Amino acid sequence: MSGFIIRNPKLAWREIGGETVIISPEDSQVHELNETASLIWKHAEGKTLQEVAERVSAVYEISVEAARADINALVTVWQEKQLVFLAAEAKG
Amino acid sequence: MHLGKMAEFNHPVQPLDRGVPLQISIGGVPLSLFIQEDALREPASKRYREFAQNSENGLPIVLTQPHEHAQSRVEFSYSLDDARLILGPELAEFHGVRHEYALDSLLRILLTMVLLPQRGVLLHGATVVREGRAHIFFGRSGAGKSTVASLSPEGTVLTDEISLLRYSDGRWQAHGTPFWGEFRAAGINRLFPVAGLHLLHQANDDRAEPLSVKEALRALLPCVLFFTTEKRAHETLLATLMGLIQEVPCDRLHFRRSAEFWKVIAA
Repeated sequence: MSGFIIRNPKLAWREIGGETVIISPEDSQVHELNETASLIWKHAEGKTLQEVAERVSAVYEISVEAARADINALVTVWQEKQLVFLAAEAKG
Repeated sequence: MHLGKMAEFNHPVQPLDRGVPLQISIGGVPLSLFIQEDALREPASKRYREFAQNSENGLPIVLTQPHEHAQSRVEFSYSLDDARLILGPELAEFHGVRHEYALDSLLRILLTMVLLPQRGVLLHGATVVREGRAHIFFGRSGAGKSTVASLSPEGTVLTDEISLLRYSDGRWQAHGTPFWGEFRAAGINRLFPVAGLHLLHQANDDRAEPLSVKEALRALLPCVLFFTTEKRAHETLLATLMGLIQEVPCDRLHFRRSAEFWKVIAA
């Protein structure tokens, strides 16, 4: 699993007290992210999985490997829900 | 779509050849309805009589036959059965409206778009005024909105179905609407400051459980009338709802379908 994380540009989202609410306007689905997922969501745009893992590792004081495993699982779910895409190249 | 532009309400009433408009105001939004067919104009005049208001700059709403477009630029459109709403920069067109119920539905949809840049929303909820302040009882179909309305004194219910909330004069206010459910009424064209938002939950006791901002947002979102798929409009909606629930207390109201619930609200 590799690539640059790109948030679905059609989504509207907002942070609420460290957590995030995401609305998919096309199907009116509402997604909620907890604090950890919100941190990843907030800093994921245009970053590689490894870069995000390094950031999460520093914030939560866990190993990069452990962070990477969690992020892989999370991004997989996000892809299934079409919240993010993995791009071969960074935007811009 | 330039939602901000619509907020200016600088709509010249140009279609002179369409006759004298039925001028109304809902939620402080002036509207000029150009209805040519008497068979529709008369029931519409009656339906919105409490909301009649002379205004020279109301947003023109032109009822036309299907496919009779009067404007080339479309900012928002929505189809409902055989009827269609087309909103342009200066006027709205309602196509194929055959009866007052279709007109009512398109008006609701239109208002969701016009109110949005003015910090206004339509919500599936009953609005009841108590001691000069409005309480919004919201929830999906079957939650108990009509029950709350039926348990409230005559003249205190602004709507049993669709609440209109809008930020104006430095506070959130609930407006009367002509949009009713089971308790069909002409409505009351007045506004009252909002005291509380109550998510209806039928239970075996009466109690109000305060909701966090996130819980309130989660509860409100499915109850907001919203028809656009545009991202920016949804961002505006989120900002509007956040503003609302940060200023107005929101709770989950457990109630037994009796008027006893007022005791826990007052407490």
